Amino acid sequence: MKSLLKTLSRMPLAISLCLIVTALTVKAQDAKIQMAHLDHLASRANETVDVNIDERLIQLAAKIFNDKDEDEAQIKKLVVGLKGIYVKSFEFDNDNEYSAADIDSIRSQLREPAWSRLVNVTSKREGNVEVYISLGGPQINGLVVISAESKELTVVNIVGPVDLEKLAKLEGNLGIPELGIKPAKQKKEEQ
Amino acid sequence: MRRKVSTGISIALLLTSLCVSAAHAKGDDFNSVVRMIEQFYNVKHEGIPFLAKAGLKVVGAAARIKGGEVRRLAEAGSIKIATFEDQAFDGDFTEFRKSLNSSMVQTWSPLVQTVSATDGEQNYVFVREKGDKFSVIVVNISPRDAAVVQATLSPKNLALLMKDPEEGGKALRQEAIIDQE
Repeated sequence: MKSLLKTLSRMPLAISLCLIVTALTVKAQDAKIQMAHLDHLASRANETVDVNIDERLIQLAAKIFNDKDEDEAQIKKLVVGLKGIYVKSFEFDNDNEYSAADIDSIRSQLREPAWSRLVNVTSKREGNVEVYISLGGPQINGLVVISAESKELTVVNIVGPVDLEKLAKLEGNLGIPELGIKPAKQKKEEQ
Repeated sequence: MRRKVSTGISIALLLTSLCVSAAHAKGDDFNSVVRMIEQFYNVKHEGIPFLAKAGLKVVGAAARIKGGEVRRLAEAGSIKIATFEDQAFDGDFTEFRKSLNSSMVQTWSPLVQTVSATDGEQNYVFVREKGDKFSVIVVNISPRDAAVVQATLSPKNLALLMKDPEEGGKALRQEAIIDQE
């Protein structure tokens, strides 16, 4: 009986801990967006790229970067903290193969206050490039880039602590395309 | 009473079929993928063509990924390969991709998938943990050829494959062909 009471007295703490852990997990997962809505574009696209690298695989990939090489060491440092890299990219023969609704299916998940759009972002790519960050306290816990050109649509979702400067270094690695995004003043734009 | 018995039998059959399909999915996905390609594209897999063997012997089996050192990726004796040579792979690749993903999603993680309608090329890399190592299934389909490779990789070599999945996939295919000799 005593042990039962003891167990019961500990329950609230255990439940609280569970709730905190769950909340933290959910928070981290919040930065992962759903991109499956875009899959139908594959039938119209010339080229389709779909990358899904979860935390476990990222940690593995991090091991391959050479600490002795300055660039690789930097990439490794960035990659170690990440929880996921997800990319969908479609290249089309003709204009207007994707619709505003396709982009809205992504944008609708990137609403304030969880997400903020960064303005004054420049990219070597033509068309419209939108960058969104998800803030978990003082730290960024996710980033989404939507690059919408007339014949190309790319969405990159990085889950974990990353910013634009870091993204630039990750481009061309682990399935992240060359977006040519230059870090600018990180102003927030009201949606 | 008869109804109860027949319901019981139905449930037992359903459970058995679920267990069998789950075991099948986990145990022999390589053959499932090969069969799926055969059924979807109405093609037949075959042995390794002599010319391919000869050509690869000259080139060498090892992979050079992103300018890195030349090395083998797969653990010794772990590779399975099925090839399809000079057959027509006409069909809706979006449907194929959908079928492939839905059959693999329970036990494998889709790592990288690239599809080119222009070249008629499809590349799929699936991965799952296997003890302290990893199993990968690489599917490559071109307009006239295809290959399915399954191999066990060390974490380090999986990381290498992830760095350049396309080259890594080709390297595994080469290794598999030479291992079949």
